[in-house]
Amino acid sequence: MFRRSWRHLAMAAAALLAVSSVAACSGDSADSQDLSENRAGAMADYAVGTQFKATEPVSFSVLYNNHPNYPLKNDWLFWSELTSRTNVTLEPVAVPLSDYNQKRSLLIGAGDAPLLIPKTYPPDVHAYVSSGAILPVSDYLDLMPNLKDKIEKWNLQPELDTLRQADGKFYLLPGLHEKPWHEYSLVVRTDILDELNLAVPKTWDDVYTMLKAMKAAYPDTIPFSDRYSQPNPAGNLLNLLALSYGLQGAGWNFQHVSWNANAQRFEYTGATEQYRQMLQYLNRLVAEKLLDPESFTQTDDLARQKLANSRSFVISGNAQALVNDYRPDLAATNPKAKVTKIPLPVGPAGEINPASRLENGMMISSKARDSKNFVAMMQFVDWLWYSDAGQEFARWGVEGQTFVKDGSGKHTLAPDVDMIGLNAGAPKHLQKDFGFANGVFSYGGKPELVQAFFSAEEQEFQQVMNARPPKSPPPPYPLSDEEREQVSLWETPLKDHVYQATLQFVLGQRDFAQWDAYVGELKGKNMDSYLSTVNEAYQRYRDQNN
Amino acid sequence: MVSIEAEPRPRPRRRGIQDTRGYRVFRVVNGIVLTLVVLVTLYPFVNIVARSMSHESYLIAGEVNLVPRGFTLDTYQLLMSDSLFWTNYRNTVFYTVTATVVSIVLTTCYAYVLSKKQLKGRGALVGIAVFTMFFTGGLIPNYVLVTSLGLKNSVWAIALPNAINVFNLLVMKAFFESLPGDLEEAAAVDGLNTYGILWRIVLPLSKAIVATMVLFYAVAFWNSWFAAFLYLDRQELWPVTVYLRNLIAGATGAENVGAISEANEVQAEATLKAVTIVLTTLPILLVYPFVQRYFVRGIMLGAVKG
Repeated sequence: MFRRSWRHLAMAAAALLAVSSVAACSGDSADSQDLSENRAGAMADYAVGTQFKATEPVSFSVLYNNHPNYPLKNDWLFWSELTSRTNVTLEPVAVPLSDYNQKRSLLIGAGDAPLLIPKTYPPDVHAYVSSGAILPVSDYLDLMPNLKDKIEKWNLQPELDTLRQADGKFYLLPGLHEKPWHEYSLVVRTDILDELNLAVPKTWDDVYTMLKAMKAAYPDTIPFSDRYSQPNPAGNLLNLLALSYGLQGAGWNFQHVSWNANAQRFEYTGATEQYRQMLQYLNRLVAEKLLDPESFTQTDDLARQKLANSRSFVISGNAQALVNDYRPDLAATNPKAKVTKIPLPVGPAGEINPASRLENGMMISSKARDSKNFVAMMQFVDWLWYSDAGQEFARWGVEGQTFVKDGSGKHTLAPDVDMIGLNAGAPKHLQKDFGFANGVFSYGGKPELVQAFFSAEEQEFQQVMNARPPKSPPPPYPLSDEEREQVSLWETPLKDHVYQATLQFVLGQRDFAQWDAYVGELKGKNMDSYLSTVNEAYQRYRDQNN
Repeated sequence: MVSIEAEPRPRPRRRGIQDTRGYRVFRVVNGIVLTLVVLVTLYPFVNIVARSMSHESYLIAGEVNLVPRGFTLDTYQLLMSDSLFWTNYRNTVFYTVTATVVSIVLTTCYAYVLSKKQLKGRGALVGIAVFTMFFTGGLIPNYVLVTSLGLKNSVWAIALPNAINVFNLLVMKAFFESLPGDLEEAAAVDGLNTYGILWRIVLPLSKAIVATMVLFYAVAFWNSWFAAFLYLDRQELWPVTVYLRNLIAGATGAENVGAISEANEVQAEATLKAVTIVLTTLPILLVYPFVQRYFVRGIMLGAVKG
């Protein structure tokens, strides 16, 4: 353990050092818009709907996140078909998925990174921006017609603005979803609902009523015993509640600030009135023995055991947990039991779909800008990751070979190709043997595409969630490097104190009469300075861009 | 680190004198305590073996202790049917053997030189080695160095940067210092040069320490994954540690959210960690008994004088 954390620390320090020394050497290029030297292989008439094909054979290196379920193979149809369609050969640098981020930092820090660096999540970008090793892709969106088209058609500009750094540019080409994709909710024993004549709860108040009824029928149980408490208590439950109460996120999606649209300013999430209300809600569940106090500390395995042994009936989960954990567990212990994931209960914030429409995406090494194939590369990226044809290719493969399409445009796997058991027993596997539906190349897109390999019940869940309006993203507040450094020093003590107080209030160890004292304690930990830094950054950005 | 214990010495018994009551009580208590220690250390291992062969439903219900429940070897089969697993396993063996040989040669030479009191600049040479125990160049400089030496994607990236472990070096130096100098003088008088002395006189007397070092190095290289992860960019080159580490991350990670895993992956997820531990520790564990006797004596000898 010690060795691991030491390594991480050393890694971070070394990355910072190297990255800053790289920054020192790299001057500003003369004119970022003069691309006349970089057009080798590029198409002159590339536009939405055009099949990209480089005018000469080119190759680009790409960092490859090697998933053990479908380990990299050089003879995948994906590679050969990609080359024949686009004249581009990709040269993957394979990195084990287990330590992808570490290797990425190392390679960027050492100046040895491939040109394309996919599978990067938005917060990860901050660490590299000041180094100059990553290309400010927002300067080159004109080379990417499909990306621009999707941003406009799906109205993604506000989301995209949240990626901007202090210089007003963004450095990540994110995965784009037409509809938000919310995964986690509560999983409920529906056979108990039927037995007690209860409807599937729609709101958090309904959840309370349901738990109350379960408790009345089974006094020995504590009907709700939750998981996902490592490393933070009740990571999922707190987050779901915070979102339902109109906050930006809590629990495992801990967000220090939430946007208050009425006051037009950011507030500290853990000190808001909504946060107090949701803690009171949880406190009531715990006090009436409806929610297991161990929910905030126990391991996932323990929570699963309680559900499997019918000592609880409700637990957090997503489609994967439902199918891979709870159903097999219960099938072994209690074959009559039925569980389902209910649509996210509605709270005071009303019906919303709180998920983001941005996903992990791709960074591009700055050195790519100097390549004579730069324009061709941007067009290629635009085609493979953002065009309808490219997305279909990356997900489904080649028509007639791995899938067929009917008149209405509905895709079906070819009979000899399997994926998630759709054609169980088929000799070939879409991911393992062909390299399609690969997390490195295929994400985002239209709901049909995103949900292509979801189970029927998950598609139903998504339909309910998609009917709800998406949550509008908070306005951007890009921090400068110094500000980021400063707020990160404040963040840990603040977060720790919020967690601590959250548990105390929920478990009844602290009375809600002391709420103001608690907010005072947060102020003692620089909450106000934190907020004013964030609000100033917001004002600054707004003034500069309006 | 493996704990080092002295071999218990049989207490010399003389006829007519009985053990005192206190001593007999001590022996009984001692026996009980040591048996408990054995059980406590053995339990986790037996438990892991049992888990690796149990059906996942019993694991979920928390019902697996010492005996596998719902016996199944599916996860073993799943793992072993992957040719990449065997490729990587072979790599591990190859890397371990190569790196251990390199390490032993280099460490022995360095330690032998340092053990010579008359050597000029000996302090500086020891200092250089010890310095690296406390200060390192840092990850990225190391990476850049290894890359620009052209060692990337070769066994040398694993074997060379970690070839001399300073702790092992000092232990070995202390051992060599404990050898009587007269022997070497006699050999020199009889006409052996320096290398002859090392090869024909010193090393045959040092089997204990060499065996110990082989064990130390082999275990370290067998378990290591970080250097391989850093310097090897192709999965055919990975050692099995990286393969299994990645497999666990894939089985427990959230990459395929929303999608459904195939049935065999569910079973694999539950038992994968246990299977992994068994598969990676078993071979190296089997080496222990053969080297153990040298291992104890070697350290004892080195430690007495060092």
